[in-house]
Amino acid sequence: MPESLKFHFTPVDEAHADEKNVHEKASTDVADTIDILKKEFPDGISDVVVYAGEYTVFVTRDSLVEICTALKETLGFSYLVDLAGVDRFTEDAPRYEVYYCFVNIHAKKRIRLKVSLDEDDPVLPSITRLFKAADWNERECYDMLGIQFEGHPDLRRMYMPEDFEFHPQRKEFPLLGIPGSLPLPPRTPEGGLTMDPFAAARQGSPVKSYQEPESEF
Amino acid sequence: MSVATPYHDQDAIFSFWPRHNETLLKRLESKDAWLSTERGLDVSRIEDALEHEMTLNIGPQHPATHGVLRCVVKLDGERIEKCVLDIGYLHRGIEKLAESKTYQEFMPYTDRMDYLSPYANNVAWCMAVEKIANVEVPERAQWIRMIMCELARISSHMLWLGVGLMDAGAVSVFLWTFQGREDLYNIFDEVSGARFTVSHSRIGGLASDLSPKAIEMIQDFAIRYEGIIQGWQKLLNRNRIWIDRNKDIGVISADEAIQLGLTGPNLRGSGVAYDIRTFEPYLKYEEVDFTIPLREEGDCLARYHIRVEEMLESIKIINQCLEQMPEGPIRTDDAKKAYPSKDEVYYSMEGMIHDFMYTETGVAPPKGVASYHAIESPKGELGFYLESDGTGCPWRARLNAPSFTNLQGLESMMEGHPVADIVVLIGSIDPVMGEADR
Repeated sequence: MPESLKFHFTPVDEAHADEKNVHEKASTDVADTIDILKKEFPDGISDVVVYAGEYTVFVTRDSLVEICTALKETLGFSYLVDLAGVDRFTEDAPRYEVYYCFVNIHAKKRIRLKVSLDEDDPVLPSITRLFKAADWNERECYDMLGIQFEGHPDLRRMYMPEDFEFHPQRKEFPLLGIPGSLPLPPRTPEGGLTMDPFAAARQGSPVKSYQEPESEF
Repeated sequence: MSVATPYHDQDAIFSFWPRHNETLLKRLESKDAWLSTERGLDVSRIEDALEHEMTLNIGPQHPATHGVLRCVVKLDGERIEKCVLDIGYLHRGIEKLAESKTYQEFMPYTDRMDYLSPYANNVAWCMAVEKIANVEVPERAQWIRMIMCELARISSHMLWLGVGLMDAGAVSVFLWTFQGREDLYNIFDEVSGARFTVSHSRIGGLASDLSPKAIEMIQDFAIRYEGIIQGWQKLLNRNRIWIDRNKDIGVISADEAIQLGLTGPNLRGSGVAYDIRTFEPYLKYEEVDFTIPLREEGDCLARYHIRVEEMLESIKIINQCLEQMPEGPIRTDDAKKAYPSKDEVYYSMEGMIHDFMYTETGVAPPKGVASYHAIESPKGELGFYLESDGTGCPWRARLNAPSFTNLQGLESMMEGHPVADIVVLIGSIDPVMGEADR
C-alpha cells in the first residue's frame, strides 16, 4: 500500500525510535544519574525505557528503598513529586506498576522509577520514612488499586470511606460503580441509610414514554 | 429517633459511615504530632490557660474550608495539638473516567478540577497529550495559551486574596477582587464563549483565535489592574491586622517544605526556587522576561506576598506576550493530530471525515509508551502522567494535583496554632477540593 493511503488512525503499535519528540525537555535527560545507579545497583535495575526524552527506570521491589535512599542522600533527588499506581490488567506479566517521580531542584533534573508487582502479592515497602510527601500518595494508591505499602504509618483509604470494600481504579471495577456498595445519608430525619440514587434508579427498568401516567390537564 | 446532640449521643453523631469515622478518630488518637517528631517540641506542654482537651470536627461543610475539606483536630484548650484531614468528599473518579474517554473528550473534565483556573488545566492536559502523541503546536497558539494561563493565574489568585481576607474578617476586598474576576470572566467569555469552564484549548492548538476585541480587553485589563493590584498591596502590606493574623503563622522551613512535598507559591514562600516555568520552560516562557517571587520566611504572610507579586508578574508576562505574539495559524494543520478548521469541515468531504474520525478516535499515541508533563498552575505543579495502549483513549491518566500535595503539608502545618488560625492557614495554602479530590 502506498504511504499516502495508509489509514493513520489505526493504532500505532510501536514507538518509532528515530522520531524526535518536539516536547523533549532538558530536565528529563538523566542518563548520567542512571549510569551511577546501574553501577551501584547492578541487580536492582531491571530495565531502562526511554520515550519522549524521559527515562523510566524499572527497579526491583527489593532494592526500591535502597535506590530511593541513594537518590535522596547522594544524588540530590530530594523532592518527591508524584507517586501512583498503574493497573496493566494482563495475565502474562506483572499486573501492577507503581511509579515514583523525583526531582532534583538544584540540578534541574527529573527522574522516574517504576516497580512491577504481581497480582497475587501487591505489596511494596513504603518510602514514607525517606519522603514524607509519599504518605498521601501511597494511601491513594492503596485506596484506588489495593496495593499494600509495608511500613506505612497510616494506611487508610484516601478518598473512599473505610466502609467501601472495593478498589475502584482496578480495571475490573465497572465504570458505573457497583450498585449498593456505598450507603448514603437518610433522606428524612427518621429514615435509614439509603442506597445510592444511581443504583436505586436502576433497580427497575426505565419508564417508557407510553407507560407514563396521562396528564391531568 | 431523637436528634443527635453533640457530646451526649456519641454514636448518633457519626452514625453515617461508622467505620470511616471510627478509623479517622482512631488515627487522630494514635498519631504522633509532627511538631514533636520533626521539631522536637512537646506540643502537650505548650501552656494554655484553658486546660481542656477536646476533639473538634470542622467540615466538610464549612465555608472557611474552601470546599469540602474536613479537618478533625485535637485541641488542648485553644491550641491545636494534632490534626487529621479527611478528603474525598468531592471524589468523582476523574482518573477512571479518563480511561473511557478519548484524549480530546476528556479535556472539558479538566475544567472541573481546579475550577478557579480552568484554562491552566486545559492547557496542562493538552500539552501532556501533545507530548505523548508528539503533536506540534503553532507559535501563535502557544503565545495565546500563555496569555490565558497567566489570566487564569490572576483569576485564581484574586479569588484566593478575596476569600483569604474574608477569612481574616475583611469583606470589602472580596468585593473588589470579585469585580476583577468579573472582568476576567468577560475576557474568557469573549475568547472562548464560556465564562467559567472555558474548554478553549485543543490538542494541537486552540479552538479559536483571539478576536481584536478580546485583545483590546486583555490590554485594557493589564493596564487597569496593574494599578489596582498595587492598590491592594498598599492596603495590605503594612496593614496591622493583616500582618498580625499572618505573620509567623504556619512557618515551614525550606527543608520541611521539600520533605512535605509542598508546591507552587507555598514552596516558594519557604525559599525554594522551584517553578516549572523556569525549571523546565514550556510554551514560550523562555522568551519573556519575568521574575519568580521568592520569600524565605515560610509563613502565611510570605505566601501572601508571593501570590500578590505573582499577579503583577503575570501582568508583565501578558504585556510581553501581546507585543511578541506573531500572526499565524492557531491549530496544527495535520488533521490526524488535531481537529480540522470549521471551514474545512463544512466545505470539504475530507474535512468532515477527519472531524468525525477525530471525535471518534482522535489522536493515538504509540502502544505502551508513557510520559509526564507538568505546568506551573496557579496552585503549583500540575502534571499529567499518561500511559497509552495505542488507542485513542489513555490506558492510565494520572493527575498530579498541586492542591493534593499542599493539603498534605497543611496537616502538619496546623499543629501548635490556636484554633482561630485554622481558617487563615487553610486559606494561605489555597487548596481547591475539585483538584485535590480528583
